[in-house]
Amino acid sequence: MAEITPGQAYGFFTDTSVCIGCKACEVACKQWNELDGHDPIFGDGYDNTGSLDSQNWRHVKFIDNVPNETMGTGAGKAWLMMSDVCKHCQHASCMEVCPTGAIIRTEFDSVFIQPDVCNGCRDCISACPYGVIGHSEEKGVVQKCTLCYDRLQGGMEPACAKACPTESIQFGPLDELRQAAQQRVDALHSQGVSQAQLYGADDSVYGGLNAFFLLMDKPEAYHLPNAENAVLPSRNNLGGYLGAALTAVLAVFGGLIAFRRRREPAVETPAEVPAAAPPATVESTVDEPEPEAGEKE
Amino acid sequence: MTNHWRDIRHADLILVNGANPAEAHPVGFRWLMRAKLDRGAKIIHADPRFTRTSAVADTHLRIRTGTDVAYFGGLINYVLENNLYHKEYVEWATNAGFVVTADYSFSDGMFNGFNQQTGTYNTAAWAYVMENGQAKVDIANPRSVLNLLREHYKRYTPEMVERITGIPRDQFLSVAKLVGEMGRPDKVMTIVYAVGLTHHTTGVQLIRSAAILQLLLGNMGRPGGGMNAERGHANIQGNTDHAISWDILPGYLRIPAPGQKNIADHLTASASKKLLPNAVNFLGENYRKFLVSLLKAWYGDAATPANEFAFDYLPKPAANASWISIFDQALRGKMEGVILSGMTATSIGPDSNQVLQALSNLKWLCVMDPFRTTSSEFWNAPGMDPAKIQTEVFMLPATHWIEKDGSFTNSGRWAQWKEQVLPPEGESRHDHWVLAELFDRVKGFYQQQGGKFPDPVLRLTLPYQDPRKPELDEIAQEINGKSLATGQRLATFADLKDDGSTTAGDWIYTGAYPQSGNLMKRRDGVQDQAKNDPTGMGFYPNWAWAWPLNRRVLYNRASADPAGNPWDPKRVGIKWDAAAGKWVGDVPDYPGTAAPGPTAPLPFIMTGEGTGRIFSNGVADGPFPEHYEPVESPVQNPLHPQVSATPAAFLYDQKAGRPNRFGTVAEFPYVATSYRLTEHEHYVTQNVEHLVQLQPEAFVEVPAELAKEKGIATGDHVRVSSKRGKLEVRAVVTNRLGPLQIDGKKIYQIGIPIHWGFVGINTGQHWLANALTPFVGDASARTPEFKAFLVNIEKM
Amino acid sequence: MSLAEPAQHFVRAPGWTWYILFYFFFAGLSGGTYVIATLLRLRGEPTDEPAARLGCYASFATLLVCPVMLILDLGSPLRFWHMLWNTTPGDTGPIFKYWSPMSVGAWGLLVFGALVTVSFVDTLVRDGKLGWLGWVARLLDGALGKVVMIAGALFGLFVAGYTGVLLAVSNQPVWSDSWTLGGLFLASGMSGSVALLLFLLRYRAPAEISAGPLTVSERLYAVLELALVVIFAITLVPAGTFDLAFGFPWILLWLVALAGLAPGIGGLVTSRLAVTPEGITVPVHSASAVRSVAVPVLILLGVLALRAAVIFSIE
Ligand SMILES: Nc1nc2c(c(=O)[nH]1)N[C@H]1C(S)=C(S)[C@@H](COP(=O)(O)OP(=O)(O)OC[C@H]3O[C@@H](n4cnc5c(=O)[nH]c(N)nc54)[C@H](O)[C@@H]3O)O[C@H]1N2
Ligand SMILES: Nc1nc2c(c(=O)[nH]1)N[C@H]1C(S)=C(S)[C@@H](COP(=O)(O)OP(=O)(O)OC[C@H]3O[C@@H](n4cnc5c(=O)[nH]c(N)nc54)[C@H](O)[C@@H]3O)O[C@H]1N2
Ligand code: SF4
Ligand code: SF4
Ligand code: SF4
Ligand code: SF4
Ligand code: SF4
Ligand SMILES: [Mo]
Repeated sequence: MAEITPGQAYGFFTDTSVCIGCKACEVACKQWNELDGHDPIFGDGYDNTGSLDSQNWRHVKFIDNVPNETMGTGAGKAWLMMSDVCKHCQHASCMEVCPTGAIIRTEFDSVFIQPDVCNGCRDCISACPYGVIGHSEEKGVVQKCTLCYDRLQGGMEPACAKACPTESIQFGPLDELRQAAQQRVDALHSQGVSQAQLYGADDSVYGGLNAFFLLMDKPEAYHLPNAENAVLPSRNNLGGYLGAALTAVLAVFGGLIAFRRRREPAVETPAEVPAAAPPATVESTVDEPEPEAGEKE
Repeated sequence: MTNHWRDIRHADLILVNGANPAEAHPVGFRWLMRAKLDRGAKIIHADPRFTRTSAVADTHLRIRTGTDVAYFGGLINYVLENNLYHKEYVEWATNAGFVVTADYSFSDGMFNGFNQQTGTYNTAAWAYVMENGQAKVDIANPRSVLNLLREHYKRYTPEMVERITGIPRDQFLSVAKLVGEMGRPDKVMTIVYAVGLTHHTTGVQLIRSAAILQLLLGNMGRPGGGMNAERGHANIQGNTDHAISWDILPGYLRIPAPGQKNIADHLTASASKKLLPNAVNFLGENYRKFLVSLLKAWYGDAATPANEFAFDYLPKPAANASWISIFDQALRGKMEGVILSGMTATSIGPDSNQVLQALSNLKWLCVMDPFRTTSSEFWNAPGMDPAKIQTEVFMLPATHWIEKDGSFTNSGRWAQWKEQVLPPEGESRHDHWVLAELFDRVKGFYQQQGGKFPDPVLRLTLPYQDPRKPELDEIAQEINGKSLATGQRLATFADLKDDGSTTAGDWIYTGAYPQSGNLMKRRDGVQDQAKNDPTGMGFYPNWAWAWPLNRRVLYNRASADPAGNPWDPKRVGIKWDAAAGKWVGDVPDYPGTAAPGPTAPLPFIMTGEGTGRIFSNGVADGPFPEHYEPVESPVQNPLHPQVSATPAAFLYDQKAGRPNRFGTVAEFPYVATSYRLTEHEHYVTQNVEHLVQLQPEAFVEVPAELAKEKGIATGDHVRVSSKRGKLEVRAVVTNRLGPLQIDGKKIYQIGIPIHWGFVGINTGQHWLANALTPFVGDASARTPEFKAFLVNIEKM
Repeated sequence: MSLAEPAQHFVRAPGWTWYILFYFFFAGLSGGTYVIATLLRLRGEPTDEPAARLGCYASFATLLVCPVMLILDLGSPLRFWHMLWNTTPGDTGPIFKYWSPMSVGAWGLLVFGALVTVSFVDTLVRDGKLGWLGWVARLLDGALGKVVMIAGALFGLFVAGYTGVLLAVSNQPVWSDSWTLGGLFLASGMSGSVALLLFLLRYRAPAEISAGPLTVSERLYAVLELALVVIFAITLVPAGTFDLAFGFPWILLWLVALAGLAPGIGGLVTSRLAVTPEGITVPVHSASAVRSVAVPVLILLGVLALRAAVIFSIE
């Protein structure tokens, strides 16, 4: 593994077509990052990790499409295995919403959550479209893959990539990885594996994923949003605020009508005012425009 | 392995049978992937289950467990019928031309020479025709091995293969077509296997059938070819080399048999005879040197020509002493005590309930282990009543291998020295120290009290600084051996003598630790490929040390044609360099300067034939592999229903007069096989948090169709039972297991991971997979039939 | 209920707790009551002044709860101030991200808090408490007072509404599938605030005079909220998350929320039926409204239920 130089963009090319679901990556990550993991629970026999979260920064997904017929052609198609991880998105939803500035882009172009800045508001969790981030109860902050920030600073490749026996996880400078990935898909296509496709290698999802994938099926099959659905939280700012503003106007308008002066001139001594209002108001009260106003929205 | 892990990347076709390398050898598996990615090699995985290996293989063949002989037999038949075998190779490098005596016969599922009383074959009845002291060779002869082979396997038609294995005819043929091409000199195929083949009453024959195919295709001895057994524990290969199994001495010399009065007797019985003038018969010719050097290493000055080099001191066991036999003896109450070191008898089975019974019959049990195991706690096993168990249990905390230095020998025969990683914990001690002190104290008793035959104990040499604390480095030197004249350690077993002037603790390791130093420590690897891999074939001669003589591919003479030119110039094992007058490339498995030519030595230097053996009398249950059903099988053998299972398997319970423990398809309608998962190393990793999290609970894999019938869903608890015991564990419902069509019958297979027990972090998981497995093993090796038995399953 | 291509959501739930629920609830009330107070004071009869003051008190009281809830929900409560001050080494300083509702909200709450506090003090003085702070009242008598009230009202509207936008600005199902949450929370916040005041009137006799107009406003906000609930539901259909939000058990919460609208809508309908030439309906109703405890409580429960349904349906 060549020099790791700050200022250059690094990432992962995870080639699911050669993943053997051994989970060495999961364990290597826990070991290096001193993550305890959760109490053992039975999932479905092969995936007992369940999901990425504060303790699992790599998670190997198993998607079983093995046909009942005697022969299943393997070639990475029938039983999909994918080592999922933070995508280190170019346009990072988590980073977008974070109110404290805890989430930063590092000198290696990775997305890093500063544990001493994060205050555990968990807004990023609701933002990350990949369900990557988890909240650590005992640490009081959220956690996810750091792209082994500490290792990179020490010139070492990430623990998961180092542990992967099949080179399904390849770490390196993005441009090199993208080339390697393109060659691999071409090779697969030439072998007739037509459904092989890259995910996040170009900018079609979140402006490009620094941790991108070679998939053997469409993204949805792996629970990854396709390009159309890869959207940022901020898309809803405008609509949300406009909706609220419109409502505000109506609310104020309604208030103005409800509380409008009921008699001229106003009586000085409120205390003595009989709890009564003139007929006029009533009529108008009952045919307030609000209901229609409501429907008009 | 005849070859080695890295070499697999040279293959054009990879047959994986009875192995699940992606899960059991994930790191070694990278080389299968490299073959696939770098040279477009095809991986064919024949396995009852669609596994994580199948997931990345090109083809998965769902095969019924225990039927690989039919599969390979079918391929052998296909290759012969269509004349796809490597003719020149077969005629020169195999015993295909040898003529077999008239006695040999095979009919109705029986070979000649069977003794109904003993239930064993007289293997001597499978012999070659001898003419004035040498074997008759005439490939055209109707009794030639090749013709008998044709005869034997012509029954293994694609239809028969389908009936037996469940692999549909057309799928079999599509694979056969690929395999057939591998007979071309410019193509090479490797066969990778492990305990999916060995864990059967026909284990040895399963492997032989594959080896025969490789000989026919001319793939033995070639880079990217060979028969490659993926071994077990990190050092199981080293264990075997140093005679962990009862029937051999270090270096695969035979254990002497009763009645052998002297070395000569022993040689007659054990050393192969030279059958052709230009056969080298290296082992046969040098057997005496290796044995004498071993005796000198053990008994030093006490081993003299006068006393046959203390040949008398060697044990000459009258009875089989394999794993099952030991516990059979205990069951018969013929055993006082057992020392278990690095082995968890209770868990590893077979037939745990019977093993638990056996342990309860002992006076004492001593467990040497870094952890509590199901054996050290056997008296506490669910269903056991500690009050009723008289066995006294000693727990000796041993250091874990991570806490010692020493060498690991990998599947590729590389002895790699490792350093101690962690200091020993608490009171734990190295196994070799425990054993050394134990021996020293026993010796003390003999010195004080004499005894029937004290010499083998009293005369044993322990040439260590501190006989109670030998260093592994000292032991490694002792194993390598030396010249007693000069005191110098030897560099090759060629220098071993039979006059008592040399020692060798294990002749195949002579050269691992020569006078120049410990070669197992060498690490000249990929950091400088040009320098460290001169041939570019990935031999890396200065990386660690491979037995024998640092040779990376066995039988590599066969990688070149008779004229000494490699069959495939792109994949050179060794080749004859006429100019230099020697063989170059890998360390030649051949006299280094013997020029090619009509009178040149034959290629397989170890055997008496000088060739690879297609026909062999070295196995107990037949000179040609034949398909026999597992002892517990859902069907009658379609080839010969009257002799369905192998007649040669040793039936312990029956012989001991214990009640029958085999089930029938009527009570137990489903086939089961047991195996590993990536996430655990047998039982020991039940002590490792992160791995227990990855695989927290015992489960069985159930075919979706069957599950539907029984209303079982993933996560449900099911009861799986055999005639011998039961598991109550979770179900994982999947299409990955079948069903299969066998001889017109729908057969379901149930998958049973082995990893759980009643000791470890998740102690709720107190189910031993081996509660289900049968107490029977292979006819030759006695390896238990862990991989094929009958069970029933019901939802709880 | 879902159409052809539902939106793809593969997120994990943020695991927000009931602290957040109550923050959203009280933020709605604090903002709402302040807006009502402002309207009453600036638009209503002088007779509405007592009710306006009541509004200021209510706004202040409910405001106090907000930061507490907000902070307690944090994984690291002591770092609440990180919301305003970036502590990233080399990049320290105030942090404000207009595109992050949580960031904007933090500042909004801060400013609103300040204004409410001022009005609170001012109100105390007007009620003859803290005489020594008389200058405050005098200061706020004229234009400045109006400015404060109006500014406060604007921030009040924000505080009551942005919480909905906060949910929308995410990738969660339901939340991010609709643009209506901000408005919905605001509307329900308003109706809740009115209900709260109607409830409190009983403790301030002079303020009871405003029961009429308050009741009327309650009805208007009920209608507004109902309309938004309907639109919210409709917007979820194409996203395919309708079932998620309105399926069991959440439907129960929605029923409570709708029950909370009943008095308002019902009142509107009945009063329309009860029109007499003199049509002296309002006082009657207001009077009854004042007497009834059940009605305002029911409405407030509705407000809480609506937020609970929205927040927790995705957890
Ligand atoms: N993760 C992990 N790795 C290990 C170990 C471990 O415990 N865990 N143990 C080590 C040891 S000691 C050993 S011996 C090796 C064993 O390595 P393997 O032999 O690869 O391990 P198994 O899973 O026992 O069996 C391999 C496969 O054989 C299949 N099989 C069963 N019966 C048959 C049959 O009749 N024909 C064919 N073609 N296939 C069959 C099973 O379905 C299984 O998938 O693994 C070593 N590596
Ligand atoms: N049904 C079924 N049964 C099977 C198999 C199967 O496939 N199916 N596979 C069989 C096979 S191939 C094998 S190899 C066995 C494996 O069975 P075992 O070898 O019993 O399994 P391990 O858990 O590896 O046990 C190794 C033990 O050695 C201890 N140990 C580790 N290092 C040291 C050391 O340096 N010194 C000492 N003294 N102890 C040490 C560990 O703590 C552990 O308890 O299981 C066999 N049983
Ligand atoms: S995957 Fe999620 S956590 Fe990772 S950068 Fe993208 S949005 Fe942030
Ligand atoms: S939880 Fe931490 S990282 Fe996530 S948004 Fe809040 S402050 Fe930022
Ligand atoms: S890069 Fe480091 S932190 Fe991220 S998944 Fe890999 S090992 Fe874990
Ligand atoms: S280590 Fe590599 S092969 Fe193993 S699961 Fe992770 S990605 Fe897949
Ligand atoms: S556990 Fe050790 S021996 Fe087994 S595959 Fe991994 S590295 Fe190789
Ligand atoms: Mo093994």
